[in-house]
Amino acid sequence: MAESLSPSCTPLKHAYDACFNAWFEGYLEPVVASAPALRERRAREKADEYEARCGALWKNYRECVQKAVAEKGLSSMLEQARKDKPLVEPSYPDSEKKD
Amino acid sequence: MVKFFAQSHVYDDPWATVTLAFFLRYPNPYASHVVSCDVISRTPTPYGTLLTQRLLLKRGSLPKWAPQGIMTRTESWILEESEVDVEGRIVRCKTSNIDHVKVMQVHESTVLKEDQNGKTVQTTEARFVSNFGWGLTKRLEKFAQTKFVSNIEKSREGISLILRLLRESRLQPLPIAADGYPGATLNPNAAIHIASASTPENTRPDSEEKNARLRSGPGMPSRWQQIRSWFTRPG
Repeated sequence: MAESLSPSCTPLKHAYDACFNAWFEGYLEPVVASAPALRERRAREKADEYEARCGALWKNYRECVQKAVAEKGLSSMLEQARKDKPLVEPSYPDSEKKD
Repeated sequence: MVKFFAQSHVYDDPWATVTLAFFLRYPNPYASHVVSCDVISRTPTPYGTLLTQRLLLKRGSLPKWAPQGIMTRTESWILEESEVDVEGRIVRCKTSNIDHVKVMQVHESTVLKEDQNGKTVQTTEARFVSNFGWGLTKRLEKFAQTKFVSNIEKSREGISLILRLLRESRLQPLPIAADGYPGATLNPNAAIHIASASTPENTRPDSEEKNARLRSGPGMPSRWQQIRSWFTRPG
């Protein structure tokens, strides 16, 4: 697994990555084309599972990396890049902004 | 004047495996220019897709003819944004450098799509835009394009290597996905359960023998342990 931009975040990143990779592998499992209602249910279940398994690890890692990004003076550049070119346009309210 | 590049490539592996390898592709020996890779945002959406933003630091190089001081350093921060659509069996990924943008901006777009025959098609498109001026714009764009074309093969070699490691690790007796929820602690009982469920009775001794051979093969334990450690909580 790759290093973090700040060596102090690397252990937190590796702990989170290991959890994410495991969840991700299951998430990618073949799904049979399903009715919209079932699709939403699966989406909810997978999101809940991710939160339950990896949520705490993500929070620790994200705090560390956000601090490192700010310390390196990258925050405004990143903010600008996200604003200028929303490469992936989320078509739903960003749930991350709530927490 | 903007330069373009487009190419597609077919991987023999199924979409889920290629997608996993795509997310696991750093570090690999073919990507030694990648200094760091961080997830800065990740959101499973109500539609079942997964949005990820990663921030990468890459080491670059400048042409010999570039003026002194064109860039104070040759490292560049890259923002990678992706959406994995597990129902549609497609990954859309866009990357751009977010610094040195006046000298050169490379916008890359990658799509990984499930093919009808169980293979995976990767389509890569790139745009090279320089606003540097001083009569160098065209030359800089050409330089970036040439570099990109010569590096794309290396980037595929990297993914192919990770694919091979994944294939090998899945031949091991303890599957990565041990107990329905992959990533829980690798439970040996669950693994045995899966092994007996997925392997016909009469072929099991053979495959066990094969696994034992692979385990003891040169380099196997460390590589297997390495990739296995990517899927479980350390400690």
